Amino acid sequence: MNRTLLVTGTLLLLLPLSVALSVAVGSVDLAPADVLRVYAAHLGLYDGAGLPPAIDRIVWDLRTPRVLLALVVGGGLAVIGAAMQALVRNPLAEPYILGLSSGASAGVSLFYLGFLPPLLAQAVTFSLAAFLGGLAAITLVYLVARVRGTVSVTRLLLAGVVMSSLMGAITAFATFASPEPDKLRTLLFFLLGSLSGARWEVLPLPAAVTLAGGLALLALARPLDALLLGEEQAHSLGIPVETTKRLVIVLAALVTGVLVATSGAIGFVGLIVPHVLRSLVGVPHRRLLPLSFLGGALLLLWADLGARAVLPAEELPVGVVMALVGVPFFLLLLRRTPYHFG
Amino acid sequence: MIVLRALVVASLLLAGLAGPGCAPADPVPPAGRTVTDDLGRRVSLPDTIRRVITLAPNLTELVFAAGAGDRLVAASTADDYPPAVERLPRFSALPVDFEFVATLQPQLVLATDQVNNPRDADTFAALGIPTYFFHFGSVDDVLDGLRTVGALLHTADRARRTADSLRARLDRLAAWSAGLPERPRVLFLIGDQTLFAFGAGSYIHTLIEAAGGESLTAALDTPAPILSDEFVLTAAPDVIVGAFGTAYDPARLLALHPSWDVVPAVRKGRIYSLDPDLLLRPGPRLVEGAYALARVLHPDGLPPWMPPPSSRP
Repeated sequence: MNRTLLVTGTLLLLLPLSVALSVAVGSVDLAPADVLRVYAAHLGLYDGAGLPPAIDRIVWDLRTPRVLLALVVGGGLAVIGAAMQALVRNPLAEPYILGLSSGASAGVSLFYLGFLPPLLAQAVTFSLAAFLGGLAAITLVYLVARVRGTVSVTRLLLAGVVMSSLMGAITAFATFASPEPDKLRTLLFFLLGSLSGARWEVLPLPAAVTLAGGLALLALARPLDALLLGEEQAHSLGIPVETTKRLVIVLAALVTGVLVATSGAIGFVGLIVPHVLRSLVGVPHRRLLPLSFLGGALLLLWADLGARAVLPAEELPVGVVMALVGVPFFLLLLRRTPYHFG
Repeated sequence: MIVLRALVVASLLLAGLAGPGCAPADPVPPAGRTVTDDLGRRVSLPDTIRRVITLAPNLTELVFAAGAGDRLVAASTADDYPPAVERLPRFSALPVDFEFVATLQPQLVLATDQVNNPRDADTFAALGIPTYFFHFGSVDDVLDGLRTVGALLHTADRARRTADSLRARLDRLAAWSAGLPERPRVLFLIGDQTLFAFGAGSYIHTLIEAAGGESLTAALDTPAPILSDEFVLTAAPDVIVGAFGTAYDPARLLALHPSWDVVPAVRKGRIYSLDPDLLLRPGPRLVEGAYALARVLHPDGLPPWMPPPSSRP
């Protein structure tokens, strides 16, 4: 318990520091005093006299929503990663690795390039297409990987890899068949995963869905704990196993879909964060899920800080940074003797 | 992922992003023998070349500008200029439809490393067809390329005259703009949502300078940067010029980037969009592109000899 407190305290301490660093550092250099003046002006502490409007736009309209989006996306992906790992009882599960993200990307690409009709507002249709694509992919992977009530790790990873390829092929087909090169370039940048589209108007949908999905999973904390013991034991504890698993799959597809529709497919947050935290605070999900949110939020915030700061004046897709960090981690995890879950 | 990466690269290159310039090729003898292309490859040519294809639209334009359009036996599906290409049979250049190209029996394939894969040349070699690769970084690379095309296709005099006249037109523009009292700071964009732009070493900065502007991305290290919104806000361009087509609605740019409302170019309503074919294809129409730039950069201060915008067919 002390360890949990320590971890929670550390994360809560790092959060404001990281946020402050993220709004102060970016692709252009700003004086920290100017950054403070922007917030003072928006809080009504100061009338904003002498503050260049470009700096106000950079800090308030670009960096601040971007930092918040990084927190939401990173936190959401980590929570979903934790829940999926419980679902398949394996620490290698993650939306990106299991093909969920690429399914969502394929849905978005098909819609964006005009292969699916626009039904509602663009942001909603994007999310819907991503949700349906992701749901189809993860359901198929899960069904293939399940043998007589247990999920085979080999089958799971292989099915995920193959599903990612299939969804990647659908995306590639859509991009090849698209007649509009401008849309194509934008889409390809988006597919690599980037938070550069962050704006205040973009935030509410992913924030609301992540919050709702996270709370729903938190309510499932006990069934998730029980799943780790094995399905038979969970049954004997009176847990509605099938319902729980279906709920987790739908929630994972929903949250991942909306996040992919917002920021593209960003991998490995959902892999690294729950894994590290589980080794620190143990497996109970009522602790693991909230801490995963905090940890994922921080990790993506740092990754995006790297993506913004590494090339002056330019954008680097944050998905590239996460893959550079995440793949070695995944490989190390594969090499290690499998640890015990419950 | 590899497929996607390749697509990103290919789409950027299709847009005509130019890398840093390289030394112009050696002068090519008028016929026969072995020449060295821009990639340093040795290319053996037949004495007389009557059948040619190109693998990129800018090369097709260069062949016509060199006065050798009648030697083209087909056009790629991406070719749309000059109008004479409409009469030619079509083939796929990306990826290359080798079987169809083989039936055309070209004696020479012209390619550019900005669009085409140098390994395509190996396949053509296996078919007994030589491939000459061009590299276009600077405006001079393009004009040298025009002369080279003429030398390869036996229209050296005509190509040289065209190149000299294009150079003279550009010099005339540059001489006029050198005397301007003020030069607007220009942000040139290839993409409106994702801010693809030209970095160091590109021909676009030469064109903007000749048109009387100062290109804000000339000093960026990356040849094909994706700009951040923060950069645009800090660079504070006086004018934003996009290669989004002449039908582009400038309001869309602000809708995509609402934070730009304080950028001088946006405040003064100085957002323009030009025909991408004039500016993104390193070919003979770059000079026309420079004039199009001058018209939007200095709408009130144009010299009397400036030709009106040519209407596209």
